[in-house]
Amino acid sequence: MGGPCRLRFACADEALAARAISAAEAEVRRLEQKYSRYLPDSLVSSINRAAGTRRPVPIDSETAGLLGFAHTLWQQSAGLFDLTAGVLRRAWDFKSGRLPAQAAIDALLPLIGWDRVQWDQGSIRLPTPGMEIDFGGCVKEYASDSAAAALARLGIERGLVDLAGDMAAVGPGSAVEPWLVGIRHPRRDGAAIASISLAAGGLASSGDYERCLLLEGKRYGHILNPATGWPVQGLVAVSVAAPQCLVAGGSATIAMLQDESAALQWLDALGLPWLAVDSALQRHGSFDTTACGSTDR
Amino acid sequence: MADRQSALLALTSSALLLPAYQGVRADAPPEFTELGMRYSKYEEDNTRGSKTFGGSSERYEIDAAQFHLLAPVLDDWSVAVDLQWEDMSGASPWFVGQSLDGGPKVIMSGASIEDTRTEVSVTTRYYYDRGNAGFNYVHSDEDDYESDAVALDGAFNSADGMTTYSAAVSTSRDDISPTQGSVPTNTLNDDKDSSSAWVGVSRIVSKNAIVRFGLAYTYRDGFLTDPYKKNDRRPDEREEWVLGAGYRQYFIWPDGALQADYRYFDDDWGVASHTLDLAWHQNLGERTQLIPFLRYYSQGEADFFANVADTDQRYFADDYRLSAFGAVSGGLRLRHEIGDWALSAVGERYETDESWGVFSGDESPALVNFWRFSFGLDYSFR
Repeated sequence: MGGPCRLRFACADEALAARAISAAEAEVRRLEQKYSRYLPDSLVSSINRAAGTRRPVPIDSETAGLLGFAHTLWQQSAGLFDLTAGVLRRAWDFKSGRLPAQAAIDALLPLIGWDRVQWDQGSIRLPTPGMEIDFGGCVKEYASDSAAAALARLGIERGLVDLAGDMAAVGPGSAVEPWLVGIRHPRRDGAAIASISLAAGGLASSGDYERCLLLEGKRYGHILNPATGWPVQGLVAVSVAAPQCLVAGGSATIAMLQDESAALQWLDALGLPWLAVDSALQRHGSFDTTACGSTDR
Repeated sequence: MADRQSALLALTSSALLLPAYQGVRADAPPEFTELGMRYSKYEEDNTRGSKTFGGSSERYEIDAAQFHLLAPVLDDWSVAVDLQWEDMSGASPWFVGQSLDGGPKVIMSGASIEDTRTEVSVTTRYYYDRGNAGFNYVHSDEDDYESDAVALDGAFNSADGMTTYSAAVSTSRDDISPTQGSVPTNTLNDDKDSSSAWVGVSRIVSKNAIVRFGLAYTYRDGFLTDPYKKNDRRPDEREEWVLGAGYRQYFIWPDGALQADYRYFDDDWGVASHTLDLAWHQNLGERTQLIPFLRYYSQGEADFFANVADTDQRYFADDYRLSAFGAVSGGLRLRHEIGDWALSAVGERYETDESWGVFSGDESPALVNFWRFSFGLDYSFR
């Protein structure tokens, strides 16, 4: 799941605790094996392998549900969120310290276009050879919710699933004893920029700290515009809380895909608690936060 | 950007279609082994003296003990075992005769019948991504009766998870060897077979409502006559149809759900019936549920039914169960959870009257009213 995963819950019964841990872990592994594009046996790999062939790949209701959610993200972001944009990874190597050639990007742009994907509740077909889908933008968040639901089914009343920063609380929550969650500082590894009280539901964060290139004082983040193939000059980090981690993650991603002022307006109108850090490392948002350290460079 | 006001609604509503948010996995084996025990008492009112020859008569009484075990097996299977013991005693109507004042009166089977019944039922169920399939075997044994039945059923969910299609087929074979002594019987040894098929569809119509429809067909053949009734000779085939519809709606306030079901029954013996079931499931906090329920039933009489049977006909019967009547029953069900234990209790009163039905016919003097009580204890091995 691309980072450290943690599970915290309270349970007096040792045997039940062991069952709960294995149920949550099994759920996360199930989703990873189904949706990881790195695993050759995953459903996503077989969908991508069939790109350009006539054969639609059959999908189950869960996958159709995720495609439906990705479609909503595409609609709500006016096309900035695109499940097929992952192919740009072939041109952008953030570890190389070099910008890609424009020709390399131009060669990939024809492979991007969610509106050209043919899918319904039972199957999906990618029309062009080389086209790919990548659930990276929503599976980790969905897995947090799904693991939390697995814990709740076993009767766990209070817990927190944390998959590399995407979190889902188990149970109805308590305003008296909320989870205190640190939000990562976008520029200082291991430091928190704020801490947030999460009583129930999910919290997801997105930031350009994950992968970026610094060249001639300009920062090239890994959030790419699917129309141009170039990084979005937007916010540095966004965290959103929502009843579902999936909705929180989708909202944070849409915000990261817009330029700064549009993103702040969009988050403001959304109606969910949020925290954003702009390129000047100024904090914005509606979260009731506790600041951790200064926000200076 | 799309309309911002609706962004949250759009994201949330499309997210909630995913299985992780459906409360439980749509088709998942039980999480825990469950063990249950139940004791029930069924007691018919005595037949009033004015309706019988020979004064007031005691009717049927049944004591039943049930044992239930449901366990997850491997990853995708469950096994359920149900055992039931019943102890039946009392007298039943033998035949109806014409009294001197002109009205029909019942003659009861004099001595009290005593019988015990044992039933074993085993069900295995397989759960897959979009549904589940089950196999069930039931064996029932009593002094004068032995029955074996097998059934297959399956449920399949539509890709959007909103519609579930179900189907089932079952078949049974019963051996009848009436106890000799109390009254002369219509046969010494006989058998009957029955086969049924059922199809159903249920659909989630909103976040809080579900509708369902079902259609069932049953074919019976063999010895369908009641062996203990004096004036009873029935056709040796019967075809039955049932059409059902149901609606469930949850109300956030007052945290309760309405359940309404209707059933129409029709067969080639001329019997038709309407059943209307209403129940209200009221949650009282997280652990307690109170369920008042009400049922209305009305049936028409069989073509060959007569209060005073004409035994010159090819088929005849004076059995009140084939007469026209209406019935109302109501009761209260209570369920309360304490830790891993669940207590349940049911009390029900059933009353019947010829004049309550929508079908016309002669009032049978043998119509029966009863009480039913049940108490259960369930344990979940968490």
